[in-house]
Amino acid sequence: MKKVAIIGIGHGKFGVRSDASLRELTFEAVKACLDDAGLPLKEVDSMVTGIAGDEFSFALQPSAQVHDYIGFYPKPNFRVEGACATGSMALRTGWMNVASGLADVVLVVGVEKMTEVPTSVATDIMGRGGDAIWEYPFGTTFPGYYAMIAQAHMAAFGTTEEQMAMVAVKNHYYGSLNPFAHMQKEITLDKALTSFIVAYPLKLYDCSLITDGAAAVLLASEERAKRISKKPVWMVGLGLATDTMRISERNSLTSIQAVREAAKTAYKMAGIGPTDIDIATVHDCFTIAEIVAYEDLGFCEKGEGGRLIEAKETYVNGKIPVNVDGGLKSKGHPLGATGVSMAIEITKQLRGDAGERQVKNAEIGLAHNVGGTGQVVAVHIFRRE
Amino acid sequence: MEFKDFSLFINQTKVARFAEELAAGKIMATICKKCRKKYYPPRADCSGCMGSEMEWKPLRGEGSLVTFTKIYVPPDHFAVQQPLMPFSSIQFEPCPIGIIEVEEGLRVMGWIPKVDLKKIRVGMKMKASPQILPNGKVTIILEPI
Repeated sequence: MKKVAIIGIGHGKFGVRSDASLRELTFEAVKACLDDAGLPLKEVDSMVTGIAGDEFSFALQPSAQVHDYIGFYPKPNFRVEGACATGSMALRTGWMNVASGLADVVLVVGVEKMTEVPTSVATDIMGRGGDAIWEYPFGTTFPGYYAMIAQAHMAAFGTTEEQMAMVAVKNHYYGSLNPFAHMQKEITLDKALTSFIVAYPLKLYDCSLITDGAAAVLLASEERAKRISKKPVWMVGLGLATDTMRISERNSLTSIQAVREAAKTAYKMAGIGPTDIDIATVHDCFTIAEIVAYEDLGFCEKGEGGRLIEAKETYVNGKIPVNVDGGLKSKGHPLGATGVSMAIEITKQLRGDAGERQVKNAEIGLAHNVGGTGQVVAVHIFRRE
Repeated sequence: MEFKDFSLFINQTKVARFAEELAAGKIMATICKKCRKKYYPPRADCSGCMGSEMEWKPLRGEGSLVTFTKIYVPPDHFAVQQPLMPFSSIQFEPCPIGIIEVEEGLRVMGWIPKVDLKKIRVGMKMKASPQILPNGKVTIILEPI
């Protein structure tokens, strides 16, 4: 198996991008990525595109729009899907391309254009990310599923609505420092706690955003990476795991089992443990999801996630900085782009290029991307040198 | 009674009988004849032994509440459309939903129409029952016992 490095990153502006279509959003990220790597598109062997939903983009094969618009044909490109973890599935597929020797330089693109449909329709599409036969008839939505996880976590461990709101305050603070974030504004604890209820006990500020956006990274084999890049960041651990379609069939509702499985695989492959992680991006589609992620990734004991954020240990200067790019919460969550965006943030941090959000001497980073309510989960570990 | 009178969109399945049984007052599970693994929601095929010979059995439906929520921002299908009359509005009061565990590992999702949200507690004893709705559709409700 060949070693694989990230040698280029390109992040488009996330937000309600009513000015641009799916293919135009992708162009922005791809251009930025090639510029960052200093490599023309003709040097790229193959491409993987992550797009979660066709229903948002009114297209059966949206990835063809993308390779057409950037002029990549006739070289290989196909689409991968893993719900909200689609971007990480694309990254994993890109890694497989390079590690196997099938290609030396691979472009990984993640994109989603979500605001072409009204919010109620987007909520409907995502609600069917649960079981469309057995759960949807009860009016379930994504906030609804995570509200049930929150309720179970509160009952089991005394996690509070205040602690969940503290995650929102942190992520909005860092989002205010990230020029690519959808919502670049700070919020107060009071504002988060008094916002309207979306799915009890989750309020508006407990929820991530419906966002348009694209992100791209360039992967290369060791030989090419060393030639092209001064600061390659190596993908050293990959974990992927799955779980039941319905949350009602899970043994635990206070933990996402597929995260525990994927993390175990990724840590083992990288030869490290949770205490070695300097910086993490986790899937905070809802504030409770970040708290559960702290626990499932081993950053704290089971049930202690609420207290970890309360002690501010996940801020830049804390024990384990998490989502200091704003997270899905404030940076936004364009489904297909999210996983790629996470890898970009970790790459920036490991290169030492994260500006005022920089975690000192960050050497090892982790990205955690959850599809749906944990039906498919990726955990990736990155290292500099 | 068609299956989509329960499932809303999907009508074609080997377990379509579930909706008819529901309309007749029974919440049915299936049990694999070969390995005895029990399924709720019912399945036509067993992922335990890959067998496809199943028997149907009604659930007693009593258990304790595992979790619950009340969804204030509903998906499009459940959303209330604004009235066309100027200066008027419709007050939307959603119904909570929850999951009860009726047997080890068997959990039933349902609406909780008769309990105030503030009085719902994880762990409370509840019973799941079929309910025919005014529009002819069929669903499941959870009530305290």
